[in-house]
Amino acid sequence: MQGTEQDQPSIAKRSVSGGVLLAIGLIMLAVAWEYPVGRLTQMGPGFIPRVIGFAICAMAIAIIVSDVMAPALPQARKIQWRGLVFVSAGILIFAAFVDVVGLVPSMFLAVAVSMFADDDARPLNVLIYASLATLGGWLLFLVALELPIPAFWR
Amino acid sequence: MIDQFLLGLSVVMQPQILMYAFIGVFIGQLIGVLPGIGAITAISLLLPVTFYLDATTSMIILAGIYYGSQYGGSIASILLNLPGTPSSVVTCLEGYPLSQDNRAGLALFVAAFSSFVGGMIGVAILVLAAIPMTLIALRFGAPEYAMLVILGLLAASLIGTGSQLRSFAMVVLGIALGLVGADQTTGYYRFVAMPELADGISLVSLAMGLFGVSEIIRNAANKRPSGPALSIRMRDVIPTRKQARSLVFPILRGSGFGSFFGALPGTGAAIASFMAYAMEKRFSRTPEKFGTGHLPGLAAPESANNAAAQTGFIPTLTLGIPGDAVMALIIGALILNGIIPGPRLMVDQPELFWGVIASFFVGNIILLLINVPLIRLWVLLLRIPYQKLYPVIIVMICVGVYSHRTSVTDVVLTLAFGVLGYLMKNYRFEPAPVLLGFVLGPLLEDNFRRAMLIYRGDFTIFLTRPISAILVTCSVALVVFAIWSSISARRKTVRPPS
Amino acid sequence: MIKNLLVALPLTLALAAPSLAQEFPDRAMRIVHGFGAGGNADTVSRIMGEAISTNLGEPVVVESRPGAGGTVASGYVAGEDPDGYTLQLMVGGHAVAAGLYNELPYDSVNDFTFLSTIGQFPFFVAARAGEYESIDAVIEAALADPGSIVIGHSGVGSTQHLTGELLGLQTGADFIHVPYKGGAAASTALMGGEVNLIIDTGTVISGQAEAGVYDILAVTSADRWPDAPDVPTLNETVAPGFDVVSWTALGAPAGVPDDIVAILSGAISDALAQPDVRERIAALGANPGASTGAELQALVERQIAVWSEVIETAGIERR
Repeated sequence: MQGTEQDQPSIAKRSVSGGVLLAIGLIMLAVAWEYPVGRLTQMGPGFIPRVIGFAICAMAIAIIVSDVMAPALPQARKIQWRGLVFVSAGILIFAAFVDVVGLVPSMFLAVAVSMFADDDARPLNVLIYASLATLGGWLLFLVALELPIPAFWR
Repeated sequence: MIDQFLLGLSVVMQPQILMYAFIGVFIGQLIGVLPGIGAITAISLLLPVTFYLDATTSMIILAGIYYGSQYGGSIASILLNLPGTPSSVVTCLEGYPLSQDNRAGLALFVAAFSSFVGGMIGVAILVLAAIPMTLIALRFGAPEYAMLVILGLLAASLIGTGSQLRSFAMVVLGIALGLVGADQTTGYYRFVAMPELADGISLVSLAMGLFGVSEIIRNAANKRPSGPALSIRMRDVIPTRKQARSLVFPILRGSGFGSFFGALPGTGAAIASFMAYAMEKRFSRTPEKFGTGHLPGLAAPESANNAAAQTGFIPTLTLGIPGDAVMALIIGALILNGIIPGPRLMVDQPELFWGVIASFFVGNIILLLINVPLIRLWVLLLRIPYQKLYPVIIVMICVGVYSHRTSVTDVVLTLAFGVLGYLMKNYRFEPAPVLLGFVLGPLLEDNFRRAMLIYRGDFTIFLTRPISAILVTCSVALVVFAIWSSISARRKTVRPPS
Repeated sequence: MIKNLLVALPLTLALAAPSLAQEFPDRAMRIVHGFGAGGNADTVSRIMGEAISTNLGEPVVVESRPGAGGTVASGYVAGEDPDGYTLQLMVGGHAVAAGLYNELPYDSVNDFTFLSTIGQFPFFVAARAGEYESIDAVIEAALADPGSIVIGHSGVGSTQHLTGELLGLQTGADFIHVPYKGGAAASTALMGGEVNLIIDTGTVISGQAEAGVYDILAVTSADRWPDAPDVPTLNETVAPGFDVVSWTALGAPAGVPDDIVAILSGAISDALAQPDVRERIAALGANPGASTGAELQALVERQIAVWSEVIETAGIERR
């Protein structure tokens, strides 16, 4: 609906979702191929992974077929790159810093960076808001709940 | 039973104990709202406190945190699509659409009320049928669990809102994710790309990612119309008489499911809520309404997870066997107080046993009383512009997930599942079946292989053990019913529309 | 804060931290362990943390870094600064892991400073009441019909599992070992009649035994256990020489200065001399007692040798 083009997506576009799933199934089979399989009555650790791998591949193919054959397919929604990038960056920064510099700085950075997912974000507002949010987080997690995470490293 | 329950009530009605019960459920409620920080974290942090309290009080406060968190878990699910506890994942499915439709108050009220009824039914079963339930639970061995899960997967493969094929593919993807880690039967490492994955992917990461983070990515850059018409009048919060009537049976069914699954050691509230939702959808006359903010779909799992939270104490109290990690913690607190939990607890410590059960009764009432007035406050939260809200939510998810196992890997995985959930939804794949497969898959594999190991590869045990045979029959009936109804549905659609 | 409010509420206890005139410690310490919040390891960590904190006047936080049988936490601790502020709660599994894992990112002995044991505990062999007269009857039945006795254990590679394997190796009995998710699940299976035996700690078994649901057939320690003097040992009955005792202990990264080791060891043995701490450790089924670092290290080295051999002989999948 939101797309401007009236025409239906190409076959390649239609099979994207099933294709990715097929890839997941194939990777799974490749990795699990060396696991000992055993028998149905005495399964090895590789039995179920192989069954599930084949099941994913089969369903992926069925999905591709049904998507390609479908008379009308809703357009895949556009990816909101700005949200994706800044939200991801915020979380990754938290993960990278929390073990090194402690909870308070990593909370501040995570809030500040992720705020830029909103294109109205202005640096000064971000600075003020991130400070306030960090203060709140400090009060909640460290003062009230006493989570065993250092506030500042050393 | 009733006499003893009254004895328990007399214990709880002492002002000091009453106050601890209140504190317990209140902390639980708050913890439940916070994404990622679950009852386990809260209880283990508070465990040293119980060194200074007697056994009954310790139990009452710790148990209160647990079932209180079940109430709180639904709040963030409804308002922000953020499951506060794994068992409230299903609450997102109907609760969040209601909230987006400016009916958050109604959803919160229905959730709180269903939780209350579920909790009370769970308590009633605990009082009246603890021993029979224990005996049934003990008859569930590996074959029974395996067949129960198959029945569950069959019933629930319809849990998503999209096409059957797509939702079933997601169940299987969930099972695949559940395979990561050391194989339970042999210890063999499967898909362990780094040592942090040896114990598998954490349910908290998966749930927070697929639901919470993906929703934030979707909305962060969007200007969501800030809701001017948010109504917080009590009249719009309370369901109409017609709505209320439609909820009676879903709540009762949900409570029944929850009570049953809660009493089985090793299943717990999350599975109970999934199963209650799946069954509600399977047997609904209007399955197409599910996923769009359908009240029965909200009420059934909410009552189920709270009933399960109460009956989960059955094996703990009657046998001294913890059904899950939270129960293990609570038993740990008992042990530290010098009480060895076991079958004699009920006889040797009647005041403790019945006092704790009575505290559940009182605790559920307290929870209802604090939840209904709080609805107003929670709805006001939605007036905060999303642009101000989401950075804070991100930090809460990060801290919650990190504190769960002190693991940076878990935080990164949460993001990965967030991106996955975001892309999935763009391509019409639903995240809920993934979680279902993830929870049920390992249970099926472990129990099936365990059954084969114990009964030396003899398949007939699935049919010769009575409970297992009943479950197999139910599964077959379900498949037949599904085929029959799809044939009759096709016959209807074959007729040209007039 | 919530914690403090709750403690202060009944005004039962006034904790006055003694201010010691020394340089270590001057900030919060932490005890890292490799198991889930709420497990025995976590509880022992909190009991010791609380006592050490009272003793040294600085807070002690407990940090759970679960994963891969505790090896994630061991690897983490091995890489931390040996300043005495990072301690590790070690369990018997530390010695098992040395034999069970192919590529540990650390050396189980040389990468650690061993401080002191906290407690030692045996395992008990239990069956449903009345099913077997004695442990001899079990072994007889197992020898007569190989594969007829099923032992439920708390997970592949757990000390419980290996103890069962060792019993089979020493008696020549052919048991079927079935893994469950933790001792409680194995105990449920025993109660439900799915398995014939379980081998687990007193905390898992004694409640049922007291209620007459289980019979305790034997204890795994070489000598009879003081808390259960009537229970025969495996050593004196079916498996001469059998001696399995598990333990909890405190360690730190390798290279902690001697003066700090002395302060820490002193705090640990002081804690283990307090009646209430002893009581809590004993409630968890262990015999509380401090040791020197050297004694602990010798214990760990001895057990690494034993378990590596069991894992090798029983053909348990190394990972």
